[in-house]
Amino acid sequence: MKALFIISGLGILAMLAEIFKFKRALYPLVLIGILAALVANFTEFNNNESIQAFNNMIRFDNVALAFSSVILITAFLWFILANDYFTNETSLTDHFSLVLFALTGALMLTAFSNMTTLFLGIEILSIPLYVLAASKKNDVKSNEAGFKYLIMGSFASAFLLFGIALIYGATGTFDLLAIRAKISEGMPLFFYAGIIMMLIAMCFKVSAAPFHFWAPDVYHGSPTVIMALMSTVVKTAAFVAFMRLFLVGFGSATSVWAMAMAGIIALSLIISNMTAAAQSSVKRMLAYSSISHAAFMLMGILAVNPIYSMRAILYYALAYSVATIGGFTVLYRVEKQSGNTYDDFNGLAKRNPFAALGMLICMLSLAGIPVTAGFFAKYFIFTALIGSTYKWLLVLAVIMSCVGVYYYIKVIIAMYFKKPTHQEPLLIEKSHTLLLAIAVVLVLVLGLLPNFVLSV
Amino acid sequence: MGYSITQWLFGILSFLAIMFALMVVFTRNPINSVLYLVMTFFCIAGHYLLLNAQFLAVVHIVVYAGAIMVLFLFVIMLMNLNQDTEPQKTLMTKLIAGLIGGVFLAVLVGTLKGAEQLSFSQTGASQIGMVKNLGIVLFKDFLFPFEIASVLLLGALVGAIMLGKKEIK
Amino acid sequence: MINTIPIHYYIFLSAILFIIGAVGVMARRNAIIIFMCIELMLNAVNLLLAAFATLHNDSSGQIFVFFIMAVAAAEVAVGLAILSMIYRNIKSIDVDLLSRLKE
Repeated sequence: MKALFIISGLGILAMLAEIFKFKRALYPLVLIGILAALVANFTEFNNNESIQAFNNMIRFDNVALAFSSVILITAFLWFILANDYFTNETSLTDHFSLVLFALTGALMLTAFSNMTTLFLGIEILSIPLYVLAASKKNDVKSNEAGFKYLIMGSFASAFLLFGIALIYGATGTFDLLAIRAKISEGMPLFFYAGIIMMLIAMCFKVSAAPFHFWAPDVYHGSPTVIMALMSTVVKTAAFVAFMRLFLVGFGSATSVWAMAMAGIIALSLIISNMTAAAQSSVKRMLAYSSISHAAFMLMGILAVNPIYSMRAILYYALAYSVATIGGFTVLYRVEKQSGNTYDDFNGLAKRNPFAALGMLICMLSLAGIPVTAGFFAKYFIFTALIGSTYKWLLVLAVIMSCVGVYYYIKVIIAMYFKKPTHQEPLLIEKSHTLLLAIAVVLVLVLGLLPNFVLSV
Repeated sequence: MGYSITQWLFGILSFLAIMFALMVVFTRNPINSVLYLVMTFFCIAGHYLLLNAQFLAVVHIVVYAGAIMVLFLFVIMLMNLNQDTEPQKTLMTKLIAGLIGGVFLAVLVGTLKGAEQLSFSQTGASQIGMVKNLGIVLFKDFLFPFEIASVLLLGALVGAIMLGKKEIK
Repeated sequence: MINTIPIHYYIFLSAILFIIGAVGVMARRNAIIIFMCIELMLNAVNLLLAAFATLHNDSSGQIFVFFIMAVAAAEVAVGLAILSMIYRNIKSIDVDLLSRLKE
């Protein structure tokens, strides 16, 4: 609860920085603020004070606190990644406040327990991101990315709202727990139509196939740093919302949505991995692979296992976010030097051995190779799902993981076994070296001590 | 058994709303589209009055017809888009769009089975749409969403200004 | 005024309006009209919520409508800002021209 106030307060502070001229102090202030929010989260842990504040509109229970901590950690790492993006911008304070407002929405999504807060959280998260995606004003690609994101986002919101309206009509309440209690009483048919519409809308939001077509274009067109934010913080937040809605809210109506969701997962796995393997740009490959990771996290939801599902998704979200941030650090520098195709990675091991090593470990983690965090993330998802009726999905997921290994390894091969097309060494700033080191250490620590997160 | 005034009004307003909504989609000139959309909004406001939600009806007119549509008109005028030279999508796309819409409508209508048993719980005029009741609910039960909506508006404000202003060197 | 309209008429009406909006989003190329169709979809939802609020005799449905209005206004403000920026760059708002992202 306090974290939410701290982050939204920081957003307003960022706006004041323009007027009172403390722009230079803003960056450290934001970092300190995020750390303070993290500390506040830890003090609230196991202390149920803020639960049911505000008439059960928002519940910061332990699950919500754990997920919001993951989001805050990722956001902290992201701010380190984005430091020179911010210094190069003319409208510096606007960017800060927009990112912080989006973060407020993300925190709300971890803890909502009412349809009103779900809807407002999604919109508070999305609207600043539409602007950020379009923030390169003279670049038509960036404008288009923002516009596509906006149209698709509002279209999905309309579906979400129609679903909410139908569910409200059947139950007479917006409260998640009250809806859950009412499902057992028997509902009219249009209630289930409402659930399916909300499922479609949420699949749009987390970009699962067949509602994924906007994601690669939007990710590719946005500035790389913003894409890093979209594929980590935003994705995690959308997933927590998805999980809370379907496990807590509609958990007792699985017969309606489980089959549809299994189909969506299978389709996402096949489409995303096949297309990712065919890409020549690493940025676009990461965009498609993020759809595949979305499918893996959806498998965690499909397991409908109150304990294992949440833990598996928590671990997956953390492992995926950290490795992605690490990968983006290298991609960002490489893109700045030359471009974002596989060829630009050629011979990186000679041009900057440390960056190549960092990229290697992050890619291995994303591919799910043992000892890294990514392996255990996939392992936990599989163990959660193995008790359910959807065992055939496991087979498909394993096959598709192998396809995934192929396109991640392609980056590694380019870095280590190909002759460099650019001879000059790749320079990396100190802060980015530090960030890469943190990401690598986190990936390895999470991989070696996987039970550390699960014991939470 | 004849129809009551309410039923007549409901029928007429629904017919007009659907007609104007179709015109929004099928007119080629954006300005005409805006005006038809405003008409649709007035019909929906009429529906709100039938539901005895006066405050909602007034806010609806002020916000949608008064603010949002004026913004649309401004942008169309500023960009000088009031000629109907819009290139058309291929017939195929249109057919597919229509087909998806039709299937979707059929599914929704199909799920209406069982809705007939639900009836309005009270026959007298309902008081929930009165400003006093709305205010009490908004500031008691919905205090948190109300407060957090300010962050949403602030974000949109900052975003729109950031995109609109020129780069400062 | 005594409301004697059965609730499924309202669901039916909103569903039709919603789908007209959805078809408009899919079938038109003019970005501004696509936006207006999204507004139409949101209005269909608003009408449905108001009808259900009367059905359940519960104000929260109408309160939700106010939040949707706030969000719609915010979305339109941002959307038109992005649109005018696109127009500045490519002098058109035809969405099919916006497919140069697909390489």
